[in-house]
Amino acid sequence: MNRRGLLLSALAGGGALLVGWSALPPRSRIGTSDPLPAADGIVTLNGWIRIEPDGQVLLAMNRSEMGQGVHTALAMLVADEMDTPLSRVKLVQAVPQSLYGNVAMFVGALPFHPDDTEPGRETATVKAGQWMVSKFARELGVSVTGGSSSIADAWDVLRLAAATARAQLLGAASLQWKLPREELQVHGGIVSHVSGPHAHFGELAKLAAATPIGDVRTKDPKDWTLIGTAAPRTDLAAKVDGTARFGLDTREPGQLYAVVRHCPMLGGSPQRVKVDAAMKLPGVQRVVRLGPYAGSTAAVAVVGRSTWHARRGAQALEIDWAPPPAGAADTKRIDEALERAAREAAQSDGGFAFHTRGDVKQARAGAARQIESLYRAPYLAHAPMEPINCTARVHDGGVELWVPTQVPDMARAIAARVAGVPVEAVTLHVTYLGGGFGRRLDVDFVAQAVRIAIECGGHPVQLVWPREEDIAHDFYRPAGVALMQASLDGKGMVSGLTITAAGDAITPRWIERVLPSLAGPVDTPDKSAAEGLYDLPYGISHQRIAQVATHSGVPVGYWRSVGHSHHAFFSECFIDELAEAAGQDPVAFRLGLLGDMPRHAAVLKLVAAKSSWGRPLPVGQARGVALHESFGSIVAQVMEVSLVDGRPRIHRVVCAADIGTVVNPGIVAQQMESAVIFGLSAALYGRIDIEGGAVKQSNFPDYKVLTLAECPRIETHLVPSARAPGGMGEPGTPPAAPALANALYALTGKRQRALPLIT
Amino acid sequence: MELNVNGQTRPLPPEAVEPDMPLLWVLRDVLMLTGTKFGCGVAACGACTVHVDGQAVRSCVTPLSAAQGKPVRTIEALGAPGRPHALQQAWIAHQVPQCGYCQSGMLMAAADLLAKNPSPTDADIDAAITNLCRCGTYPRIRDAIKSAAAVLRGDNRQDNGKPDKSVEARA
Repeated sequence: MNRRGLLLSALAGGGALLVGWSALPPRSRIGTSDPLPAADGIVTLNGWIRIEPDGQVLLAMNRSEMGQGVHTALAMLVADEMDTPLSRVKLVQAVPQSLYGNVAMFVGALPFHPDDTEPGRETATVKAGQWMVSKFARELGVSVTGGSSSIADAWDVLRLAAATARAQLLGAASLQWKLPREELQVHGGIVSHVSGPHAHFGELAKLAAATPIGDVRTKDPKDWTLIGTAAPRTDLAAKVDGTARFGLDTREPGQLYAVVRHCPMLGGSPQRVKVDAAMKLPGVQRVVRLGPYAGSTAAVAVVGRSTWHARRGAQALEIDWAPPPAGAADTKRIDEALERAAREAAQSDGGFAFHTRGDVKQARAGAARQIESLYRAPYLAHAPMEPINCTARVHDGGVELWVPTQVPDMARAIAARVAGVPVEAVTLHVTYLGGGFGRRLDVDFVAQAVRIAIECGGHPVQLVWPREEDIAHDFYRPAGVALMQASLDGKGMVSGLTITAAGDAITPRWIERVLPSLAGPVDTPDKSAAEGLYDLPYGISHQRIAQVATHSGVPVGYWRSVGHSHHAFFSECFIDELAEAAGQDPVAFRLGLLGDMPRHAAVLKLVAAKSSWGRPLPVGQARGVALHESFGSIVAQVMEVSLVDGRPRIHRVVCAADIGTVVNPGIVAQQMESAVIFGLSAALYGRIDIEGGAVKQSNFPDYKVLTLAECPRIETHLVPSARAPGGMGEPGTPPAAPALANALYALTGKRQRALPLIT
Repeated sequence: MELNVNGQTRPLPPEAVEPDMPLLWVLRDVLMLTGTKFGCGVAACGACTVHVDGQAVRSCVTPLSAAQGKPVRTIEALGAPGRPHALQQAWIAHQVPQCGYCQSGMLMAAADLLAKNPSPTDADIDAAITNLCRCGTYPRIRDAIKSAAAVLRGDNRQDNGKPDKSVEARA
């Protein structure tokens, strides 16, 4: 399929939504004002901004706070543009409306090559594709926190919404005081004139709502007072004294608790359930069978008066399990099948070619040397610290939900389907998320909670997954394999690169689970299956980067940095192999291939300088480097490692990044540390093995993550940039594994081409 | 039955609890003290860390019977209203939490460490803070513990943790 065909088929499902060919002015995303104040005196200036009588700004918050600092960063955009203190911006959960949908994430999911999407130099196909998907995403209007897209999506919209509100407030003051608007100023949330009159926003809001908007421009960057500063996060006071409310902290009157037990075999189901022993236990109230909802495995839940009573009841159930009709998954077999698929496709120019340039066959024919390596990565669980949970109440034809979710609209939709009520009858409270990492882009547990609540006579019920259920019933980062083949000319320069990868596609499976009405009969090629391989920055004249989308039968989902999470390991370790083959230093070799990519080169040079690349380390230590772009941001990392008792010990991680305009460098540093440590946990330990259809790992003792004692020092350096902001929640993760593996190779001379590195 | 929590004697409805019920669920589901978190249920992650009789314990594997008659302290009483504990202040100064879910347990483990060792070394911190965090707040936790230790010692000299960038940028 060519790229146009791919694009059109990707859009086919949403074609009906593409009505009208109008332009897409940013202003259409700020919503409308409501000149009539609400009964409580609150005035709505547009879809995002309301003003309280005391002058506080209420911001409609359409993104979930899962640790990434988005509540602080988005409020900063508004506070800066309105010249009001950050502490005077209060967040209210956005109501379900298409206005609050995520557009940037869907546009970012288009499988274009970065060469064709450089702002200002987009090709016609890219422009058309981005326009259509923007239009589609606006009509679809689903609120999603994911794809490191929150700042990019809000950047123009929120600042314009805030600037518009500010302009109306100024217009109101001008009218009221009969003073020229140009002579008014706003500082600290107070509008004033040098001659004396001043008022806070609350005093002007009613008149402001009736004031024509006129020509509004956002601030010139030189006038920013908050953007670009490490303003303290606004959510931390509640996170150090136990008052922050996560999903599991929901406590409603009459609340019951439910604990789930899934069929241990993925896709299997409970057959005969003996409930007598469980029902005899004190505090156990009822047993509810759960079908396979939204991609989950069928299960049985026990409802009790506390989580512990329910858990004890669930353990006491005697259940005969039926194996999955499609056969039991087995990771050993899957690994073999993936390798076979990649090798066969490499032989036959098979798979979907996400990127071709020049003629790799010609490069091969003229090559002095060929290098070939096979890389692999395992399935991974997300394991957020807050176990999977949802609290639901089903009452008089309505549903009320308290959910730590990245996708509130999808959660409402599935709750409505399960309860058989219109979606408007579902009220959803988004709580803080105790980590998301992509796991909370799925809604299986929401459907289960609603199903259980239907049986609970109007009582709210909190469904809790024990950690063992979380590890054994996740939507896993797919296992992947890639055959990497390079042609080197007589001088050791890379003339051709062929990558043939194999693994399950995520997006088609996710769409089936969360947006079933958009699921097509045939999978369209999924960018996430090839990202981090087809979009490399290196100037190699002949390339063919293809991917074979498999159907392995294991539930797969988005895991922090998605395809990049393992593909950066494949590509950046292989580049290191090529540097060695060329007899060159890994940094110098990469720079030689980055002649046309000044931003990437600048990031690499910065990390080399800050890590004193090339300066000798103490005996027994070595460095490794990796460079990778994802979600609009470029990150390079240098790791210093040694072996302690034969095990890798990481001492220091130096990170450099170009993420475009920086909203909050403090949060950026936090996210870099976060992403590195997340990547190191996976690189060292992460693996999910499946035998006989059942996941072998079950809890933190056998699904190990990095500990404080193992944690290196991490420093972050940023390349100044005036570009629009890229993402920051994920881009720090992909380089971690290859930087570590490359350092270990430099130390030991032994190249590891499979994750995890400790087996 | 009753439990002494955060300086108060709290009655426990007999039908709601049993002696082998883990303290975690008594706190969370019976007394509604939800600041203490459930993370793994097998004492591996430390999200449920509280103090019993002045000792940090993992409440998910501590039966109610082992805590009865002893003072229990949870995150809700680590500081007093308006007077946060030095660790809580350091946690904010160093901008430690991300999602925040593991931080109650981290703080209670750190408070236990500082009560026993006012000048912990890196190795002491490594040995004492075995709680897990998936957001990767470890480097800042290390720095914040050192800062709080210095404050609690009445030590005015710069602690040996790295300077806090966010504080620097604000100044």
